[in-house]
Amino acid sequence: MRLWPLYTEAMPAIEIKNLCKSYRVYQKQEGILASVRGLFHREYKEVHAVRDIDLTVDDGEFVAFLGPNGAGKTTTLKLLSGVINPDSGTCQVLGHVPWHRENEYRRRFSLVMGQKNQLWWDLPAQESFRLNQHIYGVPREEFDRTRDELTDMLDVTRLLGQPVRELSLGERMKMELIAALLHKPDVLFLDEPTIGLDVVAQHKIQQFLKAYQQERRTTILLTSHYMKDIEALCKRVVIIANGAIYHDGSLEDIVDRFSGEKIVTLQMTDGRSVDALKNLPGLVEIEAPKIKFRVDRDDVGRTLSDILASHSVDDIVVEEPPLEEVISNVFSEAERDRVRDQSAADQSTSTGVS
Amino acid sequence: MQPSYLNVFLTFARNSLIRDMSFRMNFILQCVSSISWAVMNFGLFKIIYQHTSSIGRGSGWEENEFFIFLGTVWVINSLVQTFFMANAEEFSELIRTGNLDFALLKPIDTQFLISFPRINWAQLPNGILGAGLIVYSLIQLSNDSNKNLQLSLAYLPAFLFFVACGAIIMYSVMIVLSSTSIWLGRNQNLYTFWFYITNFYRYPMEIYQRSGIGMALWGTFTFVIPILVVSNIPARVLAQPLGTPWKTWELLLAGYTALAAVLSLVASRWVFKRALLSYRSASS
Repeated sequence: MRLWPLYTEAMPAIEIKNLCKSYRVYQKQEGILASVRGLFHREYKEVHAVRDIDLTVDDGEFVAFLGPNGAGKTTTLKLLSGVINPDSGTCQVLGHVPWHRENEYRRRFSLVMGQKNQLWWDLPAQESFRLNQHIYGVPREEFDRTRDELTDMLDVTRLLGQPVRELSLGERMKMELIAALLHKPDVLFLDEPTIGLDVVAQHKIQQFLKAYQQERRTTILLTSHYMKDIEALCKRVVIIANGAIYHDGSLEDIVDRFSGEKIVTLQMTDGRSVDALKNLPGLVEIEAPKIKFRVDRDDVGRTLSDILASHSVDDIVVEEPPLEEVISNVFSEAERDRVRDQSAADQSTSTGVS
Repeated sequence: MQPSYLNVFLTFARNSLIRDMSFRMNFILQCVSSISWAVMNFGLFKIIYQHTSSIGRGSGWEENEFFIFLGTVWVINSLVQTFFMANAEEFSELIRTGNLDFALLKPIDTQFLISFPRINWAQLPNGILGAGLIVYSLIQLSNDSNKNLQLSLAYLPAFLFFVACGAIIMYSVMIVLSSTSIWLGRNQNLYTFWFYITNFYRYPMEIYQRSGIGMALWGTFTFVIPILVVSNIPARVLAQPLGTPWKTWELLLAGYTALAAVLSLVASRWVFKRALLSYRSASS
């Protein structure tokens, strides 16, 4: 039985306001002399990992965090799980302030990090699971039932007795997920859970997360660099770049907002038409009798009717550009903005000095 | 749904044993090396006592009394190395690699969680050897017609109590030292430091009380980092180098030991909590 505090029904599961976190990073110059100098005098650079983030996530939502490396995704998840303290701003998850690290809160969420492992390396995963049972104070029968369900869903029951160091990366990740879910968290933070996995293992984990979330309505925040994960799992996508939220909306919104083009593939009836069209602007490739080109979203209808008026076409496919491409455009745009802001800031300081 | 601290501790103990046993040769070699260290230690003092009858004039630390002292040191050493040493080291490593994250997520006292996960069973035989040495020397001492050893079973709880105080002090010193890794980024001085300070607590405190430098050392290691009382007080309970009843200063020192144990535990907890506030969690 779940003991819901009454107010959580009405409150969002996660509420972040003006959250900021920066780090001081030691700037080391190359070479031995610089290292010696560094013993006496050090230069530090302030890195703004998270800048003024506002975010609200409702109960039962499955939200993706997208962003280039170093964008602040992991830092945000660490703040939400109370691992680190923010510089300023507020945050409530399930009615708790994460960095107060109250046990009532810590019993209700989990964090899985694809790049770190919490299982005992030299022992079978089941020993780590048992330890979690005692730490979370889960009654034995309930614990065994949950464990059996999860190992069954992820198809790893036969590996429970094998030392973790002898598991493959995919198998280990599944075990990490199980370890994080044994206490039935209400909120789950997943930081690149499919990193480095082959397509089969990735797919399996996606399927599992989807089924698990649908069944339990767990609130999940997922970061991943694999668009497949995000397409398969999340309706809402939050793009973080340079520590700030760049976009928050559905996947379709992103494509609409950041990609002004569609990709059209025509299968022509004869080779002559292909030749006639080879100077088309936005041409991507020709594989006679197929021809593929980009066209502005608003011009799709007009362009197609022009072509159809003078050529004979067997088949038409109009697609959105690949998500990877759209996202990479978004990231580059964000990077351009950052450089612009930076140089504007630099300019204003230098003017200030002179 | 409260965590059961006892069950968690027992699971740690069990998992560590399973792990140690799975690297069988390593386990055996560790036992052998720590026992041979003890034997060599014993041999060295056997040789020293061929040259003198007591360490320090009038201090009462003659051969049998001293071997009770040495046994006590082994017992405490073994407790610290079995239960705390590997964990304090591991804690520094958790900070450096950012794996402390997982400990901070768990709904259980974080200091408890990082203090006991690895129990190094291979260091325990040393403690048993120490207990053996204590019993043997006590028998020798009680058979010595020149000595008037007053012993009854009532001394055992007092001995165990002060051993526990000693272990708590050592534990606190280690936690404080490894917590500094949060600020330093890396702290590999733990073994070195351990070696330095155990050098001092391996001898009766009377040896320091002869000269200015000695007194300075005695004062530092009694009142600043109270490690001299760790071994000296429990050993005195059994060896009674100055006979019974205890002198006033001995009683005061015993009271101070209990106080020092409480204070150092409180201090270590304070430092630990302060350190956690500065934890940066390395990398993703």
